[in-house]
Amino acid sequence: MIRVQDLTKEFTDLKRGPVAAVNRVSFEVKPGEIFGLLGPNGAGKTTCLRILSTVLKPTSGQALVAGYDVVRFPEAVRANIGFMSGNTGIYDRMTACEMVEYYGRLYGIEEDRLQDRIDEIFETLQMNEIRDVLGLKMSTGMKQKVSIARTIVHDPPVLIFDEPTSGLDVLVARNVLDAVARLRDEGKCIIFSTHIMREVEKLCDRVAVIHKGEILDTGTVEGLVEKHNQPDIEEVFFKLIQSVDLTESSAKSGMEFTS
Amino acid sequence: MNWKNIKLIFMREVRDQLRDRRTLFMVAVLPLLLYPALGIGMVQMTVTFAEQVRTVVVIGADEIPEPELIREQHFAPEFFSFSEDAKKLRVITDSPSSLENAELDEDSRAKFQAFLELLEKERTTLNRLADIQEQVFGRKDAEKPKVELIAEEADLRKQVTSWFSVAPAQVLVVFPEGFKKHYEAIDDQFAAGDFNFGDIESSLHAIILHNSANEKSDIAYQRVRKALKEWEKVLLKQRLETASLPISLPDPVQTTAVDLAEAEEIAANVWSKIFPALLVIMSVTGAFYPAIDLGAGEKERGTMETLLISPATRTEIVLGKFFTVMLFSISTALLNLASMGFTGKHMLTAVGSAGASPIGDLSFPPLLSLMWVVLLAVPLSALFSAMSLSLAMFAKSSKEGQYYLTPLLMVTMGLTMFCLNPAIELTPYYSVLPVVGPALLLKALLLGGAASSAVWMYTIPVLVTSSLYSILALWWAIELFQSENILFREAEQFELSLWLKHLLRDKEETPSFVEAGVCFILIAFLQFIFLTSIQKDPSMFADPVNMFRFQLIYLIATVGVPPVLMAIMLTKNPLKSLKLKLPSWKMLGAAVVLPLSLQPLTLELLSRLDHLFPPVPAGAEELLKAMSSDAVPLWLTFATFAIAPAICEELAFRGFILSGLQRSRHKWLPIVISAILFGVIHMIPKQQFNASLLGLALGLLAVRSRSLIPCIIFHAIFNGTQILIPHLPQETHNGSLVRFAVTITKKDGVITAVDFNAVFLGICLAISAALIYWLVRHGQTPEESERPVDSHEPLIAEQSRLFKK
Repeated sequence: MIRVQDLTKEFTDLKRGPVAAVNRVSFEVKPGEIFGLLGPNGAGKTTCLRILSTVLKPTSGQALVAGYDVVRFPEAVRANIGFMSGNTGIYDRMTACEMVEYYGRLYGIEEDRLQDRIDEIFETLQMNEIRDVLGLKMSTGMKQKVSIARTIVHDPPVLIFDEPTSGLDVLVARNVLDAVARLRDEGKCIIFSTHIMREVEKLCDRVAVIHKGEILDTGTVEGLVEKHNQPDIEEVFFKLIQSVDLTESSAKSGMEFTS
Repeated sequence: MNWKNIKLIFMREVRDQLRDRRTLFMVAVLPLLLYPALGIGMVQMTVTFAEQVRTVVVIGADEIPEPELIREQHFAPEFFSFSEDAKKLRVITDSPSSLENAELDEDSRAKFQAFLELLEKERTTLNRLADIQEQVFGRKDAEKPKVELIAEEADLRKQVTSWFSVAPAQVLVVFPEGFKKHYEAIDDQFAAGDFNFGDIESSLHAIILHNSANEKSDIAYQRVRKALKEWEKVLLKQRLETASLPISLPDPVQTTAVDLAEAEEIAANVWSKIFPALLVIMSVTGAFYPAIDLGAGEKERGTMETLLISPATRTEIVLGKFFTVMLFSISTALLNLASMGFTGKHMLTAVGSAGASPIGDLSFPPLLSLMWVVLLAVPLSALFSAMSLSLAMFAKSSKEGQYYLTPLLMVTMGLTMFCLNPAIELTPYYSVLPVVGPALLLKALLLGGAASSAVWMYTIPVLVTSSLYSILALWWAIELFQSENILFREAEQFELSLWLKHLLRDKEETPSFVEAGVCFILIAFLQFIFLTSIQKDPSMFADPVNMFRFQLIYLIATVGVPPVLMAIMLTKNPLKSLKLKLPSWKMLGAAVVLPLSLQPLTLELLSRLDHLFPPVPAGAEELLKAMSSDAVPLWLTFATFAIAPAICEELAFRGFILSGLQRSRHKWLPIVISAILFGVIHMIPKQQFNASLLGLALGLLAVRSRSLIPCIIFHAIFNGTQILIPHLPQETHNGSLVRFAVTITKKDGVITAVDFNAVFLGICLAISAALIYWLVRHGQTPEESERPVDSHEPLIAEQSRLFKK
């Protein structure tokens, strides 16, 4: 459902010139699977997912989402994904129902089906009591529920969650994670980025450790633990990241030495 | 483009804005409350406003001849046009009873007492000052050299100022001793019929002392002067009567002015000033605040990315937002106009019924004019909405967005002020300018009357061009919204040196959109500097050869050098940026034939449209005349007006600037914009029009051939034939092709008319049309076929078929 091949995205930085935020990244995600993108802040997770959601254009490489190329058919890709991140806010001056309705219409869902779908979603996410509350007056948890409802209103086959739990309290985060798990059980193809190890261990079927724009290793949580001979995924993560930083600094000092 | 999405976004944004109290306040509440409140406030102010009483001291009150000038501490009210005004001046005289009768407290009484005593002593100084001033102005024979007079005057002035500046009075009037006697003596002489007065001019004068730099003193002086004038008129009348002369003697012509203006016309005059200005300014403000909220505000609140990942395309999003902004802009403008109109009418009628209003009853403009207000509000708001939206998209936050309001408002205010000038009228040239065109058209339409029939012919150019500007601005907004850099602009520490380094280090293949814009601004700026510097020394133009040399240097320095330098310094591939590569033979052929077939057509078109353009300025006229002058060798004329412009202007406009503009995904718009920029740089309106048209053909040639060489050839041939025409002999051999094609009428060596044969023009039109059609439809675009074959090609074809379903 998602196939990413040698995806690269360069930005121009005033100080450093062109910088690759995502560098030759490749992976694949199948339906009914949660693929975790594990990395520290600034690792390139958001950039990568923004490319998959067609908001950014890749510098090179290819990405197919739900069978469509993200560069050639951005509209088709967007129609087939649900995307949620810390940056996808909800409108202050709209009620929960209006918000979900608005996006449902943008996705071109027929009016009858849309109303049924909204009722269904509001039921499962237990948000009937905030149906007519304005975004302005909602708590963070309510807002997050509306965001999830907005993400799944058109029942997309592919779902992309970019750090959906960041800044949430434990209870709300738990609700979000439960919703994501339910969606996997419905057979959705899900990509989930985070820097929280617990979430990876609990949720992800497979995980990729990403650092400085590059994927360091991919596999199941158990597989990675075994392969790197570490007690848990957290240690695997630190080991992988340290090895990169070490080689880099030694390369740098080596350069200094030779010059 | 999916109109359903645009409508959805539009409806949502409108509802969102209506739920925002700030927007509602700006758009609806403010205009509905502001004008009535202002109106009430102004009425209140005029009612409660009382001008402070100023004091005039009159010395020599006993010397004032009849009729009575001063009555009970004031000037006699019959000498004021509003008798109430007499109370605004308190008069203190040196007659013994004056101070005692004055309503003054002890303190000021003492002050005036002291002042009067001081004046008694200073009287000789004052007389001397007045006397010298008469001499300086030559009204009296000078007693000594002028330099000495002026020196003494300055000295006396200083003395007088030293006590007048602290005096309790604002104006001082001095009647000299023996004035009354002297006056009566002249009267007697008149009565006796003896008109031999001797040196009457140098006889006794009254002096008025005031300080026009001091506002209080000036206001009092203006009143005193008017009253004295009226009083003098009565004196004159008396004198004429005693001499048995006709009273009308001082007015030998006796004009009678008849005012034909009717109430509606006066009202139309008022509306024609207020409405266009208010419409322009209110459509800017009405567009700006919602735009900031919809653009930067949405970025700030984090809902922009939510919208970006919906199936709506970015163009649809911008259009949805644009229509919302436009709706609010139009509503704000029209509500303001309506509220202003009703308040103004109501207030002026109220004031008018109290009398003394010069405007009288203010009736509304006719319905048709009001419909024009609404119609012209549309392109104006569209332009401002698109511009505000672009700025709002660019801004990171609402706060940053607010900063962009001031420059936008300043520019529009400047243009509005320009249009308010009564001397500025709608001309064909002004009608195609943004903002100015609609504002002047509206002004002319509201003025109505006989002039309006001539105005109708401007409606189409104004509407067409202002719609075009709006579309361009909207395109800019869409273009900005497509750019990742602008959509996800990070707060970055800005350092000039870092940025310059980055510019030189991280070069790109061809110039960017911004670099193309900078190149254009640089050229315009250099031209401005060059032209202002030569205006100081017009002698340079005395010799045509010199003038040509200057023109040559000017072209190379201002138009040729910037694009070449910028291409070398700022791009990785200067040759590609400047389109320096060999074209195909077909293109070269087109480059030779097209200018030849277009030349007669443009000449014909220009001569037919000649009356629409303002006259050519004198300096340019001289240059044009020199083009056909025999004093300049033909090769120099060619070098200056054909070869050099062909190379320099092509390098700039079809080279660097077009390459930069072509970075956008649009196919034709870069050609249009480069053509407009090419036109703008030509300064003379007629040339601007001509150059823009040519720019289209040249741009098409450049894009299709991907080479500058055909453009240079085209340009050189086009300008070259233009130079050759004056050099064509008047009587060519009969039957020759030239003779068939064109008849040139010369008078004293100057061409008065160039008439083309209709059949010849038809042939030219056919050839040009065929060539342009070929360029548009079949012109090759080699690079598109060079695109690497995608391994996913079959899959993508499949996908596109599926997606279209």
